[in-house]
Amino acid sequence: MKTNNHLSLRRLAMATSMVASLGMLSACFDGDDDDPVALPTPTPTPPPTETTFNVEPCLNQMIPGTGVTVAQAVVPDTLTLDLSAASGFPNGRKLPDPVIDVTLAVIFLDLSVNGPGTLAGLPLNPPANDVAFRDTFPYLAGPQGSPPVADNSGTMFTFRSDPVSSYVRVDRMGMPAVSTALIPSDRKNAYNDAGPAADANGDFVPDLAATLTGLTNALADDLTGAGLTPCAVPE
Amino acid sequence: MKYSKAIPFALGGLSLATAAVLFAPGVGIIAADHLDPPARTDPAVDSTPDRAADIADVYAWHTDTSVIVAMTFAGPQATDQPATYDPDVLYSINVSNSSPRTTTDIPIRFRFGTGAMDQFGVSVTGLPGVTGAIRGSVETELEKDGVRVWAGLFDDPFFFDLQGFRDTLNTGTLSFDSERDFFAGQNLTAVVIEIPRDRIDPGAPVDVWAATARFGGQL
Repeated sequence: MKTNNHLSLRRLAMATSMVASLGMLSACFDGDDDDPVALPTPTPTPPPTETTFNVEPCLNQMIPGTGVTVAQAVVPDTLTLDLSAASGFPNGRKLPDPVIDVTLAVIFLDLSVNGPGTLAGLPLNPPANDVAFRDTFPYLAGPQGSPPVADNSGTMFTFRSDPVSSYVRVDRMGMPAVSTALIPSDRKNAYNDAGPAADANGDFVPDLAATLTGLTNALADDLTGAGLTPCAVPE
Repeated sequence: MKYSKAIPFALGGLSLATAAVLFAPGVGIIAADHLDPPARTDPAVDSTPDRAADIADVYAWHTDTSVIVAMTFAGPQATDQPATYDPDVLYSINVSNSSPRTTTDIPIRFRFGTGAMDQFGVSVTGLPGVTGAIRGSVETELEKDGVRVWAGLFDDPFFFDLQGFRDTLNTGTLSFDSERDFFAGQNLTAVVIEIPRDRIDPGAPVDVWAATARFGGQL
Protein backbone atom coordinates (compact mmCIF):
# COMPACT_ATOMS: atom_id res chain seq x y z
CA MET A 1 0.00 0.00 0.00
CA LYS A 2 2.64 2.46 -1.04
CA THR A 3 0.20 5.21 -1.99
CA ASN A 4 -1.55 5.14 1.35
CA ASN A 5 1.70 5.26 3.22
CA HIS A 6 2.92 8.26 1.30
CA LEU A 7 -0.35 10.01 1.90
CA SER A 8 -0.19 9.26 5.61
CA LEU A 9 3.36 10.49 5.91
CA ARG A 10 2.58 13.68 4.07
CA ARG A 11 -0.36 14.36 6.30
CA LEU A 12 1.66 13.76 9.41
CA ALA A 13 4.42 15.96 8.07
CA MET A 14 1.94 18.76 7.46
CA ALA A 15 0.42 18.31 10.88
CA THR A 16 3.76 18.39 12.64
CA SER A 17 4.97 21.44 10.77
CA MET A 18 1.78 23.25 11.79
CA VAL A 19 2.25 22.42 15.42
CA ALA A 20 5.92 23.26 15.16
CA SER A 21 4.94 26.87 14.60
CA LEU A 22 2.85 26.72 17.74
CA GLY A 23 5.92 25.47 19.56
CA MET A 24 7.66 28.79 18.86
CA LEU A 25 5.23 30.50 21.18
CA SER A 26 6.90 28.78 24.08
CA ALA A 27 10.44 29.44 22.88
CA CYS A 28 11.12 31.53 25.97
CA PHE A 29 10.95 28.45 28.18
CA ASP A 30 14.03 28.19 30.28
CA GLY A 31 13.26 24.74 31.59
CA ASP A 32 12.37 25.78 35.11
CA ASP A 33 9.50 24.05 36.78
CA ASP A 34 7.61 27.27 37.24
CA ASP A 35 7.45 28.06 33.55
CA PRO A 36 3.91 28.76 32.48
CA VAL A 37 2.65 26.31 29.91
CA ALA A 38 2.37 28.37 26.75
CA LEU A 39 -0.78 27.45 24.92
CA PRO A 40 -1.65 28.75 21.47
CA THR A 41 -4.07 31.60 22.11
CA PRO A 42 -5.66 32.12 18.67
CA THR A 43 -6.77 28.50 18.46
CA PRO A 44 -8.91 27.31 21.35
CA THR A 45 -7.19 24.54 23.29
CA PRO A 46 -8.66 21.29 22.04
CA PRO A 47 -10.74 19.75 24.81
CA PRO A 48 -9.13 16.71 26.39
CA THR A 49 -10.33 13.64 24.63
CA GLU A 50 -12.85 11.63 26.58
CA THR A 51 -11.43 8.45 25.14
CA THR A 52 -9.09 6.45 27.31
CA PHE A 53 -6.93 3.79 25.78
CA ASN A 54 -5.70 0.34 26.65
CA VAL A 55 -2.00 0.15 25.76
CA GLU A 56 -1.62 -3.55 26.41
CA PRO A 57 -1.69 -4.32 22.65
CA CYS A 58 1.25 -1.89 22.29
CA LEU A 59 3.33 -3.60 24.94
CA ASN A 60 2.51 -7.05 23.61
CA GLN A 61 3.11 -6.45 19.90
CA MET A 62 6.19 -7.95 18.30
CA ILE A 63 8.83 -5.57 16.93
CA PRO A 64 9.33 -6.83 13.37
CA GLY A 65 12.74 -8.32 12.80
CA THR A 66 13.65 -8.67 16.47
CA GLY A 67 11.67 -11.61 17.82
CA VAL A 68 10.77 -9.64 20.95
CA THR A 69 7.73 -7.67 22.05
CA VAL A 70 7.81 -3.98 22.93
CA ALA A 71 7.52 -4.91 26.63
CA GLN A 72 10.44 -7.30 26.31
CA ALA A 73 12.53 -4.63 24.57
CA VAL A 74 11.94 -2.14 27.37
CA VAL A 75 11.92 -4.58 30.32
CA PRO A 76 14.59 -5.17 31.48
CA ASP A 77 16.01 -1.77 30.54
CA THR A 78 19.12 -2.93 28.68
CA LEU A 79 20.43 -2.62 25.16
CA THR A 80 20.20 -6.13 23.74
CA LEU A 81 22.56 -7.28 21.00
CA ASP A 82 21.88 -10.27 18.80
CA LEU A 83 25.35 -10.65 17.34
CA SER A 84 24.09 -13.02 14.65
CA ALA A 85 21.85 -10.32 13.16
CA ALA A 86 22.57 -6.93 11.61
CA SER A 87 23.55 -4.29 14.17
CA GLY A 88 21.30 -1.27 14.63
CA PHE A 89 18.60 -0.13 17.04
CA PRO A 90 16.74 -1.87 18.57
CA ASN A 91 19.38 -4.55 18.00
CA GLY A 92 21.99 -2.69 20.02
CA ARG A 93 22.43 0.99 19.31
CA LYS A 94 24.74 2.57 16.75
CA LEU A 95 25.69 6.22 16.80
CA PRO A 96 23.55 7.26 13.78
CA ASP A 97 20.40 5.32 14.74
CA PRO A 98 17.21 7.46 14.93
CA VAL A 99 16.37 5.97 18.30
CA ILE A 100 13.68 8.39 19.42
CA ASP A 101 11.60 8.15 16.25
CA VAL A 102 11.87 4.35 16.32
CA THR A 103 10.97 4.24 20.02
CA LEU A 104 7.95 6.50 19.52
CA ALA A 105 6.82 4.34 16.59
CA VAL A 106 7.00 1.05 18.46
CA ILE A 107 5.22 2.33 21.58
CA PHE A 108 2.45 4.23 19.76
CA LEU A 109 1.82 2.59 16.39
CA ASP A 110 0.25 -0.66 15.29
CA LEU A 111 3.40 -2.19 13.83
CA SER A 112 1.42 -4.49 11.57
CA VAL A 113 0.13 -1.38 9.79
CA ASN A 114 2.88 1.23 10.35
CA GLY A 115 6.35 -0.30 10.69
CA PRO A 116 9.01 0.73 13.23
CA GLY A 117 10.60 3.02 10.63
CA THR A 118 7.41 5.01 9.98
CA LEU A 119 8.24 8.09 12.04
CA ALA A 120 11.96 8.01 11.21
CA GLY A 121 10.91 7.99 7.56
CA LEU A 122 9.18 11.35 7.86
CA PRO A 123 11.35 12.20 9.77
CA LEU A 124 9.66 13.39 12.97
CA ASN A 125 12.93 14.34 14.71
CA PRO A 126 16.24 15.42 13.15
CA PRO A 127 17.38 12.41 11.10
CA ALA A 128 21.11 12.65 11.73
CA ASN A 129 23.80 14.20 13.88
CA ASP A 130 24.89 17.72 12.97
CA VAL A 131 28.47 16.57 12.28
CA ALA A 132 29.70 13.36 10.68
CA PHE A 133 30.82 10.43 12.79
CA ARG A 134 34.22 8.85 12.18
CA ASP A 135 34.44 5.55 10.32
CA THR A 136 37.22 4.35 12.59
CA PHE A 137 37.92 4.25 16.32
CA PRO A 138 36.88 6.17 18.41
CA TYR A 139 33.93 6.69 16.01
CA LEU A 140 32.47 9.76 17.77
CA ALA A 141 33.23 13.10 16.15
CA GLY A 142 35.82 15.29 17.78
CA PRO A 143 34.69 18.21 19.93
CA GLN A 144 33.15 21.20 18.21
CA GLY A 145 34.50 24.72 18.68
CA SER A 146 37.85 25.36 20.32
CA PRO A 147 37.54 23.97 23.83
CA PRO A 148 40.55 23.49 26.10
CA VAL A 149 41.71 19.91 25.59
CA ALA A 150 43.67 18.06 28.26
CA ASP A 151 47.39 17.50 27.81
CA ASN A 152 47.71 13.86 26.75
CA SER A 153 51.41 13.38 27.39
CA GLY A 154 51.09 12.25 31.01
CA THR A 155 52.01 8.76 32.16
CA MET A 156 51.68 8.94 35.96
CA PHE A 157 48.22 9.25 37.48
CA THR A 158 46.59 8.74 40.86
CA PHE A 159 43.34 6.77 40.85
CA ARG A 160 40.94 5.89 43.62
CA SER A 161 41.09 2.21 44.48
CA ASP A 162 38.13 2.17 46.86
CA PRO A 163 35.78 -0.81 46.61
CA VAL A 164 32.53 -0.50 44.69
CA SER A 165 30.71 -0.47 48.05
CA SER A 166 32.20 2.98 48.78
CA TYR A 167 30.22 4.49 45.93
CA VAL A 168 26.53 5.44 45.80
CA ARG A 169 24.52 5.06 42.59
CA VAL A 170 23.55 8.25 40.78
CA ASP A 171 22.34 7.26 37.32
CA ARG A 172 21.66 4.24 35.14
CA MET A 173 20.73 3.78 31.50
CA GLY A 174 19.96 1.05 29.01
CA MET A 175 17.43 1.92 26.33
CA PRO A 176 17.32 5.57 25.26
CA ALA A 177 14.48 7.64 26.70
CA VAL A 178 12.97 4.92 28.89
CA SER A 179 13.93 6.44 32.22
CA THR A 180 13.45 9.99 30.98
CA ALA A 181 10.18 9.64 29.08
CA LEU A 182 8.35 6.65 30.50
CA ILE A 183 9.18 6.72 34.21
CA PRO A 184 7.11 9.22 36.22
CA SER A 185 9.04 11.94 38.03
CA ASP A 186 8.30 10.62 41.49
CA ARG A 187 9.74 7.21 40.53
CA LYS A 188 12.88 8.37 38.75
CA ASN A 189 15.22 8.09 41.71
CA ALA A 190 13.98 4.60 42.53
CA TYR A 191 14.31 3.61 38.89
CA ASN A 192 17.86 4.86 38.64
CA ASP A 193 18.79 3.07 41.85
CA ALA A 194 17.44 -0.23 40.57
CA GLY A 195 18.71 -2.56 37.87
CA PRO A 196 17.64 -5.11 35.29
CA ALA A 197 16.65 -7.68 37.92
CA ALA A 198 14.07 -5.29 39.40
CA ASP A 199 12.92 -4.44 35.89
CA ALA A 200 12.43 -8.09 35.03
CA ASN A 201 10.58 -8.58 38.29
CA GLY A 202 8.00 -6.10 36.99
CA ASP A 203 8.73 -3.47 39.63
CA PHE A 204 8.31 -0.58 37.20
CA VAL A 205 5.82 -2.02 34.73
CA PRO A 206 2.83 -0.24 36.32
CA ASP A 207 4.76 3.04 35.99
CA LEU A 208 5.70 2.41 32.37
CA ALA A 209 2.17 1.36 31.47
CA ALA A 210 0.58 4.31 33.26
CA THR A 211 2.87 6.82 31.55
CA LEU A 212 2.35 5.25 28.16
CA THR A 213 -1.41 5.31 28.75
CA GLY A 214 -1.32 8.99 29.65
CA LEU A 215 0.76 9.81 26.58
CA THR A 216 -1.51 7.74 24.36
CA ASN A 217 -4.66 9.38 25.70
CA ALA A 218 -3.16 12.75 24.84
CA LEU A 219 -1.65 11.90 21.47
CA ALA A 220 -3.87 9.23 19.90
CA ASP A 221 -6.03 11.84 18.17
CA ASP A 222 -2.94 13.38 16.57
CA LEU A 223 -1.72 10.01 15.36
CA THR A 224 -5.10 9.05 13.96
CA GLY A 225 -5.51 12.49 12.41
CA ALA A 226 -2.18 12.00 10.66
CA GLY A 227 -3.44 8.82 9.06
CA LEU A 228 -1.50 6.54 11.40
CA THR A 229 -2.91 3.56 13.26
CA PRO A 230 -2.29 3.56 17.03
CA CYS A 231 -1.58 0.23 18.67
CA ALA A 232 -3.69 1.18 21.69
CA VAL A 233 -7.41 0.44 21.59
CA PRO A 234 -10.16 2.65 23.08
CA GLU A 235 -11.53 1.27 26.32
CA MET B 1 5.06 -13.07 32.84
CA LYS B 2 4.87 -10.70 35.76
CA TYR B 3 4.36 -7.59 33.72
CA SER B 4 1.31 -8.83 31.87
CA LYS B 5 -0.31 -9.33 35.27
CA ALA B 6 0.67 -5.90 36.41
CA ILE B 7 -0.48 -3.97 33.38
CA PRO B 8 -4.27 -4.04 33.89
CA PHE B 9 -3.77 -2.69 37.39
CA ALA B 10 -2.17 0.41 35.98
CA LEU B 11 -4.78 1.26 33.40
CA GLY B 12 -7.76 2.41 35.42
CA GLY B 13 -9.11 5.89 34.98
CA LEU B 14 -6.13 7.72 33.53
CA SER B 15 -7.10 10.91 31.80
CA LEU B 16 -5.26 13.63 29.99
CA ALA B 17 -5.26 15.58 33.25
CA THR B 18 -3.55 12.68 34.98
CA ALA B 19 -0.99 12.60 32.24
CA ALA B 20 -0.21 16.26 32.69
CA VAL B 21 0.32 15.73 36.40
CA LEU B 22 2.57 12.79 35.70
CA PHE B 23 4.79 14.72 33.34
CA ALA B 24 4.74 18.24 34.65
CA PRO B 25 7.60 18.02 37.13
CA GLY B 26 9.81 16.07 34.77
CA VAL B 27 9.37 17.93 31.54
CA GLY B 28 12.04 20.56 32.18
CA ILE B 29 14.60 18.67 30.17
CA ILE B 30 14.05 15.24 28.75
CA ALA B 31 16.46 13.57 26.39
CA ALA B 32 18.11 10.22 25.94
CA ASP B 33 19.27 10.20 29.52
CA HIS B 34 20.89 13.65 29.81
CA LEU B 35 19.96 15.34 33.12
CA ASP B 36 18.14 12.27 34.43
CA PRO B 37 17.27 11.64 37.22
CA PRO B 38 16.50 15.37 37.54
CA ALA B 39 16.64 15.37 41.34
CA ARG B 40 20.33 14.44 41.14
CA THR B 41 21.61 15.86 37.87
CA ASP B 42 19.38 18.67 36.56
CA PRO B 43 20.40 22.16 37.75
CA ALA B 44 16.79 23.28 37.26
CA VAL B 45 15.71 20.84 39.97
CA ASP B 46 18.81 20.15 42.06
CA SER B 47 21.04 22.82 43.64
CA THR B 48 24.00 20.41 43.59
CA PRO B 49 23.63 18.62 40.26
CA ASP B 50 26.13 15.83 39.66
CA ARG B 51 27.23 16.66 36.12
CA ALA B 52 30.10 14.21 36.09
CA ALA B 53 27.86 11.27 37.01
CA ASP B 54 25.07 12.24 34.62
CA ILE B 55 24.91 9.65 31.85
CA ALA B 56 23.93 11.19 28.53
CA ASP B 57 23.79 8.06 26.37
CA VAL B 58 24.94 4.49 26.07
CA TYR B 59 25.79 2.89 22.74
CA ALA B 60 26.61 -0.73 21.96
CA TRP B 61 27.02 -2.20 18.52
CA HIS B 62 28.89 -4.94 16.74
CA THR B 63 30.85 -5.53 13.57
CA ASP B 64 32.18 -8.78 12.12
CA THR B 65 35.17 -8.56 14.44
CA SER B 66 34.33 -6.22 17.33
CA VAL B 67 31.82 -5.20 19.94
CA ILE B 68 31.98 -1.46 20.62
CA VAL B 69 30.52 0.14 23.75
CA ALA B 70 30.46 3.86 24.44
CA MET B 71 29.20 5.90 27.35
CA THR B 72 28.70 9.66 27.04
CA PHE B 73 28.23 11.88 30.09
CA ALA B 74 28.51 15.36 31.59
CA GLY B 75 26.74 17.08 28.77
CA PRO B 76 25.62 18.54 26.56
CA GLN B 77 27.79 21.59 27.10
CA ALA B 78 29.03 24.67 25.24
CA THR B 79 31.95 24.22 22.87
CA ASP B 80 34.27 26.44 24.91
CA GLN B 81 34.11 24.15 27.95
CA PRO B 82 36.66 21.46 28.90
CA ALA B 83 35.96 17.76 29.43
CA THR B 84 34.87 16.39 32.82
CA TYR B 85 37.31 13.92 34.43
CA ASP B 86 36.06 13.50 37.99
CA PRO B 87 38.19 11.07 40.02
CA ASP B 88 35.34 10.48 42.50
CA VAL B 89 32.92 8.90 40.03
CA LEU B 90 32.82 5.19 39.26
CA TYR B 91 31.46 4.45 35.77
CA SER B 92 30.17 0.98 34.96
CA ILE B 93 29.29 -0.64 31.66
CA ASN B 94 27.61 -3.89 32.63
CA VAL B 95 27.55 -6.70 30.11
CA SER B 96 25.48 -9.86 30.54
CA ASN B 97 26.31 -12.59 28.07
CA SER B 98 24.93 -15.63 29.84
CA SER B 99 21.61 -16.47 31.44
CA PRO B 100 19.99 -14.84 33.34
CA ARG B 101 20.09 -11.60 31.33
CA THR B 102 19.80 -9.56 34.50
CA THR B 103 23.15 -10.43 36.05
CA THR B 104 26.42 -8.79 35.08
CA ASP B 105 28.95 -11.26 33.70
CA ILE B 106 31.45 -8.69 32.44
CA PRO B 107 31.65 -5.68 34.79
CA ILE B 108 33.59 -3.06 32.82
CA ARG B 109 34.41 -0.17 35.14
CA PHE B 110 36.35 3.02 34.64
CA ARG B 111 37.58 5.88 36.77
CA PHE B 112 39.55 9.02 36.07
CA GLY B 113 42.78 9.91 37.83
CA THR B 114 44.79 13.07 38.23
CA GLY B 115 48.30 13.69 37.01
CA ALA B 116 50.60 16.68 36.80
CA MET B 117 49.11 20.05 35.88
CA ASP B 118 46.50 19.65 33.16
CA GLN B 119 46.91 15.89 32.89
CA PHE B 120 44.24 13.29 33.50
CA GLY B 121 44.30 9.52 33.22
CA VAL B 122 41.70 6.81 32.78
CA SER B 123 41.75 3.33 34.30
CA VAL B 124 39.47 0.64 32.88
CA THR B 125 39.03 -2.71 34.64
CA GLY B 126 37.01 -5.84 33.94
CA LEU B 127 37.80 -5.99 30.23
CA PRO B 128 37.56 -9.56 28.90
CA GLY B 129 40.91 -10.98 27.89
CA VAL B 130 42.88 -8.09 29.38
CA THR B 131 45.33 -8.75 32.17
CA GLY B 132 44.82 -6.10 34.85
CA ALA B 133 43.60 -2.65 33.91
CA ILE B 134 44.07 -0.53 30.84
CA ARG B 135 45.54 2.69 32.15
CA GLY B 136 46.81 5.77 30.43
CA SER B 137 46.17 9.35 29.45
CA VAL B 138 42.87 10.76 28.31
CA GLU B 139 42.64 12.18 24.78
CA THR B 140 44.61 9.40 23.17
CA GLU B 141 44.12 5.84 21.99
CA LEU B 142 45.09 3.23 24.57
CA GLU B 143 45.50 -0.40 23.56
CA LYS B 144 46.32 -3.53 25.51
CA ASP B 145 45.69 -7.21 24.85
CA GLY B 146 43.61 -6.38 21.79
CA VAL B 147 41.20 -3.94 23.49
CA ARG B 148 41.14 -0.25 22.62
CA VAL B 149 40.05 2.62 24.90
CA TRP B 150 39.65 6.33 24.24
CA ALA B 151 38.48 8.80 26.89
CA GLY B 152 38.05 12.40 25.89
CA LEU B 153 35.98 15.37 24.85
CA PHE B 154 33.73 14.76 21.85
CA ASP B 155 30.81 16.19 19.95
CA ASP B 156 27.55 15.11 21.62
CA PRO B 157 26.47 12.35 19.22
CA PHE B 158 22.79 12.53 20.17
CA PHE B 159 20.29 14.33 17.92
CA PHE B 160 16.73 15.10 18.93
CA ASP B 161 14.16 17.91 19.01
CA LEU B 162 14.06 18.36 22.76
CA GLN B 163 11.88 21.47 22.52
CA GLY B 164 9.36 19.55 20.43
CA PHE B 165 9.27 16.72 22.90
CA ARG B 166 8.75 19.12 25.79
CA ASP B 167 6.00 20.92 23.92
CA THR B 168 4.38 17.60 23.04
CA LEU B 169 4.22 16.64 26.71
CA ASN B 170 3.04 20.08 27.79
CA THR B 171 0.31 20.46 25.22
CA GLY B 172 -0.75 16.91 24.40
CA THR B 173 -0.14 17.71 20.76
CA LEU B 174 2.62 16.25 18.60
CA SER B 175 5.01 19.18 18.27
CA PHE B 176 8.24 17.89 16.74
CA ASP B 177 10.30 19.77 14.18
CA SER B 178 12.88 17.72 12.30
CA GLU B 179 14.91 20.87 11.61
CA ARG B 180 15.48 21.56 15.29
CA ASP B 181 18.31 19.62 16.99
CA PHE B 182 18.82 20.70 20.58
CA PHE B 183 22.12 18.82 20.74
CA ALA B 184 23.69 20.38 17.66
CA GLY B 185 26.86 22.34 18.31
CA GLN B 186 27.42 20.90 21.78
CA ASN B 187 30.08 18.68 23.32
CA LEU B 188 30.39 16.20 26.16
CA THR B 189 32.83 13.71 27.65
CA ALA B 190 32.85 10.08 26.54
CA VAL B 191 34.68 6.80 26.85
CA VAL B 192 34.72 4.45 23.86
CA ILE B 193 35.84 0.82 24.18
CA GLU B 194 36.35 -1.65 21.34
CA ILE B 195 36.59 -5.33 22.26
CA PRO B 196 37.29 -8.35 20.04
CA ARG B 197 33.89 -9.87 19.37
CA ASP B 198 34.87 -13.44 20.23
CA ARG B 199 35.52 -12.39 23.85
CA ILE B 200 31.87 -11.47 24.31
CA ASP B 201 29.89 -13.49 21.76
CA PRO B 202 28.20 -16.43 23.53
CA GLY B 203 25.98 -17.33 20.59
CA ALA B 204 23.06 -15.85 22.52
CA PRO B 205 21.75 -12.33 23.20
CA VAL B 206 24.08 -9.91 24.98
CA ASP B 207 22.65 -7.24 27.30
CA VAL B 208 24.39 -3.94 28.04
CA TRP B 209 23.52 -1.23 30.53
CA ALA B 210 25.44 1.54 32.24
CA ALA B 211 25.54 3.08 35.68
CA THR B 212 27.39 5.78 37.58
CA ALA B 213 28.12 6.08 41.29
CA ARG B 214 29.81 8.73 43.41
CA PHE B 215 32.39 8.09 46.09
CA GLY B 216 31.04 8.80 49.56
CA GLY B 217 27.47 9.50 48.47
CA GLN B 218 25.48 11.70 46.15
CA LEU B 219 26.18 15.41 45.85
